[in-house]
Amino acid sequence: MPATFPLRWFAKFGIAALGLLLACALATAWFGNTLQLPSTTTRDGTLITMNRYVTEPIPDVVLLGSSLTFRLKEEYFATPALRNLALAAGSPVTGLEIVASQPRPPKIILVETNILSRAADPAVVARYSGSGSSQPMFLRPIRTAIAAYENWNHAPLTHAQAAVALGRLLAQPPSEFDNHIYLERALQQENADDPTAAVRRNAKRIEELIATLEQRGAQVLLFETPVSAQLEQSRSARITHEIVHARFPDPDRWLRVVFTRSELRWSDGVHLDERSAVIVAHSIDQALASLPGKR
Amino acid sequence: MTFTSWQFGVLVAVVFGAYYVPPLRTFQIQLLVVASLIFYGYGQPELLPLLAVAVFGTYLFLILALRNRVIWLPLGIAFNLALLAFFKYKFLFLDPAASGLTGVEPIDFLLRLPLPVGISFFVFHNVSLLVDLTRQKSAPPALTSVFLYIIFFPQLVSGPITRAEMFMPQIKPKYLADIPFVEAAKWIVSGFFFKLYVANNLNEMTSYMTFPLYETLQTQDRWLLVFLYSYQIYADFFGYTAIAIGLALLFGYRLPINFNLPYIATSFSEFWTRWHISLSTWLRTYLYVPLGGNRHGVFRTYLNLMIVMGLGGLWHGAGLGYLLWGLLHGLLLVMERPILSRLQSIDSVALRAARRSVVFVCVTMLWIFFKLPNFDHAIGYLSGMFALGTNPNPPKLFYNLALLYSLPVMLQHLVPHALFERVLPRADPYLYGAMAALMILEAGPETSFIYFQF
Repeated sequence: MPATFPLRWFAKFGIAALGLLLACALATAWFGNTLQLPSTTTRDGTLITMNRYVTEPIPDVVLLGSSLTFRLKEEYFATPALRNLALAAGSPVTGLEIVASQPRPPKIILVETNILSRAADPAVVARYSGSGSSQPMFLRPIRTAIAAYENWNHAPLTHAQAAVALGRLLAQPPSEFDNHIYLERALQQENADDPTAAVRRNAKRIEELIATLEQRGAQVLLFETPVSAQLEQSRSARITHEIVHARFPDPDRWLRVVFTRSELRWSDGVHLDERSAVIVAHSIDQALASLPGKR
Repeated sequence: MTFTSWQFGVLVAVVFGAYYVPPLRTFQIQLLVVASLIFYGYGQPELLPLLAVAVFGTYLFLILALRNRVIWLPLGIAFNLALLAFFKYKFLFLDPAASGLTGVEPIDFLLRLPLPVGISFFVFHNVSLLVDLTRQKSAPPALTSVFLYIIFFPQLVSGPITRAEMFMPQIKPKYLADIPFVEAAKWIVSGFFFKLYVANNLNEMTSYMTFPLYETLQTQDRWLLVFLYSYQIYADFFGYTAIAIGLALLFGYRLPINFNLPYIATSFSEFWTRWHISLSTWLRTYLYVPLGGNRHGVFRTYLNLMIVMGLGGLWHGAGLGYLLWGLLHGLLLVMERPILSRLQSIDSVALRAARRSVVFVCVTMLWIFFKLPNFDHAIGYLSGMFALGTNPNPPKLFYNLALLYSLPVMLQHLVPHALFERVLPRADPYLYGAMAALMILEAGPETSFIYFQF
């Protein structure tokens, strides 16, 4: 070490760096890591959803699925203790694997089967499987500050709090937004590939996980989130529908979701717009309420 | 191997540990060359022979050009430009998806080789080596010195583009006592902070600028994201360069400064003296001046500017978007040239602020062609900025988060330098310490440096 080594500068530098790290470590130990951080990508949303599932009390009902179901926000549902674990750009198998890996399953598990062409995300499954998620040692100070502000300023609504606004939304007529450009693009994408192999693999895995979960007392029901009539006829949707219904032919395995299709709209060609999502959420509420001996 | 990987940290620690050990001092150059080869070949060893061809080829042409500059210098430059053209622009003429590109197996093998990382940078080093050393009529340098100049790992893949006449005289024994540790630490911490905290976090947001995601954005968010990308690309490239400069200092080499607060430029010509300075300097020295510069009248000057900026755009990639980006910058330079001296003669704070704003907004808008190299996508994004968004379910962007992640770039550019100088001498170890902690705590998801693709 040369005689001119600026020890004082590096000592101050180290004190500042370690001080900030220590402050964040203490804050994490003190407050925990449960604040819902703002998500800037769909991946972030996934992690937030799963963080909540493994750190909060087990809900009575969980929804698993893809981005189609992700749009059904929890505050749209009147059913209490319902948690939506659908993963935008993800596979329902990811959620099902995580739910099955937890010590106690929810009473009712609803699995959307529209999109089964995607494999489970092994990284997300590994992170949230087992007795609990591994918590990071340090919280992210900037995101936590923003999360605290956002939660204070725009706290997530309960169904009761949102009911008036949802009622107003339902009173409006369906949107007249012309989505044909988005729909054409979605159709092009959904007609491009043959998902047979992936769907078969995922359907088989879902069957195995259903058997495991039902042995542990959960009831697993399948459902299809409504998509537009054109998209329903796409190659991918038809193949998926045929394979899944062939593997699960028992009508009692399916949640009977009843809705008026003419009321529904898909603003981006694929996903339900907000009003339609509320309608479908209410339909699921009714279907859950009518389950024999479960509610 | 990237600067942000743990493998790179281990490599630097091992090489630094051995570099200043007195018995190894005579092997310092060789040690850096070996480290650079490991750095470059890690993960893609098949590219090492190409690097060897570039270095040995350039060295051979250098030796020959030192004997006869007139014949061998142009050939040496052509050899390097041919390498660049072959790897970078081949798919302008060939379909990469075709099963048999030419039908000749060895040629197809070469054509299918991936773009060597950093080729645009080390080819420019090679040209500088040939021009500078043959102009100085100096004695032929040792092969290891040539190797070191071309492949010195801090600057190998993304610059700064160091001129041979600046780097070669620095090749001599180095001593630990000469290292400016604080300066090196400041550069390295700043670099990692700007990359991990600013660029990687902003990248999460600007990922919405890609096709077709951008179609779901609200109009005001399209505008916001363009400005965020402007901050991101600066933070990303400034970050890389700062790390490179700091690392080079640890090994006793001083690389040129590549950025000097480019977003406070009051003219487009000033912008190019502040942004990617080493590339602008290279283009001016080895292209603009040899083309005649401003010595042959107004029209020829404008033409030279357009040629240099157009080629500068194409240097970034073989695409219409890059060419257009360069040409539009050229056009802005041409347009401001006749009025620049008149504008500069007016001493007005308001006018200076207005000029800064105009330059910043124009430069920022042109970054769209970088983010979206597909020309149709870029035009689609641009036109959407001037139309009302129609998607009823646009993604939600957190403006407060965007502001906090952009803040370091804004502060760096907007806080008066004098204030920094007055406050920093006492506070700077604490400030850099806080930056070091924040880059760990608040690092965005790992993404490669934007300029790696060039």
